[in-house]
Amino acid sequence: MSEVIWDKTVSDVNDGILIGVNKPNLSFYFALTISVTCLLIGAVAWGYQIAFGMGIAGLNSPVYWGVYITNFVFWVGIGHAGTLISAILFLFRAKWRNSINRSAEAMTVFAVITAGLFPLIHVGRIWFAPYWMAPIPNTNNLWVNFRSPLIWDVFAISTYLTVSLLFWYMGLVPDIASMRDRSHGFKKILFNFMSFGWVGSLRQWHHYEAGYAFLAALATPLVLSVHSIVSWDFAMSVQPGWHTTIFPPYFVAGAILSGCAMVYTIVLPLRHMFQMEGFIRKEHLESLIKLTLLTSTIVFYAYSIEFFVAWYSGNEYEWAVFQKRAFGPYAFYFWVMVFCNCLFPLAFWSRRVRQSYVLCFIICVLINVGMWFERYNIIISSLVEDFLPGSWGHYEPALVEMLITVGSFGWFFTWLLIFCRFFPIVSMSELKLIMPKPLNPTKKPHGEV
Amino acid sequence: MSSDVTEKKGVLAVFKYLDDTCEALKKIKGRPECRQYEVYAPASYHELIEVAEEKMGTSQVRWFTLVGCLSGVTSGFGMCLLADYDWPIIVGGKLPGIYSLPAYVIFGFELMILFGAIATILGMLVMGRLPNPKNHVFDSRLSDDHFAIFIPNMDRDSEVAQVLKTCGACEVKSV
Repeated sequence: MSEVIWDKTVSDVNDGILIGVNKPNLSFYFALTISVTCLLIGAVAWGYQIAFGMGIAGLNSPVYWGVYITNFVFWVGIGHAGTLISAILFLFRAKWRNSINRSAEAMTVFAVITAGLFPLIHVGRIWFAPYWMAPIPNTNNLWVNFRSPLIWDVFAISTYLTVSLLFWYMGLVPDIASMRDRSHGFKKILFNFMSFGWVGSLRQWHHYEAGYAFLAALATPLVLSVHSIVSWDFAMSVQPGWHTTIFPPYFVAGAILSGCAMVYTIVLPLRHMFQMEGFIRKEHLESLIKLTLLTSTIVFYAYSIEFFVAWYSGNEYEWAVFQKRAFGPYAFYFWVMVFCNCLFPLAFWSRRVRQSYVLCFIICVLINVGMWFERYNIIISSLVEDFLPGSWGHYEPALVEMLITVGSFGWFFTWLLIFCRFFPIVSMSELKLIMPKPLNPTKKPHGEV
Repeated sequence: MSSDVTEKKGVLAVFKYLDDTCEALKKIKGRPECRQYEVYAPASYHELIEVAEEKMGTSQVRWFTLVGCLSGVTSGFGMCLLADYDWPIIVGGKLPGIYSLPAYVIFGFELMILFGAIATILGMLVMGRLPNPKNHVFDSRLSDDHFAIFIPNMDRDSEVAQVLKTCGACEVKSV
């Protein structure tokens, strides 16, 4: 990363960030209004689906996993960059992550919660879900099938959500203590409770640092495992197009690509809404774009290798599925995926593009579109045509499915914006560590401590 | 390192600069009357932790993490194996059934991470003596941009207080 030119000092951090939190500009309210509107549209669509049954969704035989499972995989993928930025980049001592890790962690938590909605939406009559799932073991004394990828997924996603929540909250504790020290009355009591009575003593920092490093070390394999396990939902079946060993790394790379693009998509507007330009510098955003470019090239490679493996395997069913993906009735989705995930991000090789907020934002939004279509393409094109031509079918998403998808974006952004309105979107205590150290100018202007 | 709870009276030296705080800490940490000192910082500056290293030692949070991870991996495998034992799937007449260990690695792994993370958080809290809502905040600047050294049972007119002032403390007060 090129050297960051700071026009703020450590003394400006708390003032600048907390004032921004308390007084967002008008665009925040505009964004919140749009998000809540989308959320309401989705809620009405879900209510409509519950009232009229799953028949109004486009799901049919043989495509029982349609847009809902696409959304599930998409949102779990979005959640991956948060922990990548928080944990993996922390272990690699990439300092630039300190300015965006809070937004990325919040994004992770809300994205995984959003993903968790989709299996519930997908079951249709949601009130039957707890009825059939509990008790364990069931009335025939049967346990869940621990050999099933679906139960692996339940454990992986639940662990991921819990660990991400813990990581996120522990990062917030020193900042909430800072907010407490500026508050009065009930707010002060509340923030003191929420920060566990944190005082910032060296003893606390010492154990906090050690614990944070251990959490990062635990979260790193977790990030890689979660989307691998999500990919096994597909790869453990014998369905052509799904049954391939490349799926785990392919899914992980895709998840990190979509997550990085989504972090940029949310950080850029939030930076403007909360006047954080002095703290989230253009160099930090450029580093994020470089990471997006890196993961995009990995995804590009994975797409190519997937095709090569399908051809080289000599399995005619596998190869037929891949040919149809590129040139069959679902080719449009395939080419959207290729252009958005592989070709458009190549523009990031240009420094001029990387430094243009508008272009980067547009390409990152396109990457998110592409990653959504990647999951759609994987799920639909494999399900419509399996081994038996007699069971082949066709799938187009119904209006209600699209509206629920819009609603999921509304749900995600509403929670994210509400969080940003009450808590700092930049980790103040971590940001201070990457800014110029507060050294006595009369003593050693450029010297070591 | 002393307790964070400041029921005790003492002297608090507030510093604006990190290097001044380090210098003051180096000067007072060897003194017998300053054994119970505590340092406050707005962020985890390693320079301070290095100066106070012999007091700190290696964080014991690692033991919490280790115990959490081990109990997680045991629980993960144990849960699946107990379910097998409770409802054996008998293949070819072989008892007590199939134990699909490769599939159970996932549960062992996930619960290892889950329990390890929860235990790490508990370790951070226990070792940092949190939660402690009665913690007294000496100065609201300490979570913003100032540093402080607190020495219990010390008077602001003492020699140590003078040393702290000489090292660049912007304020030395009895608390």
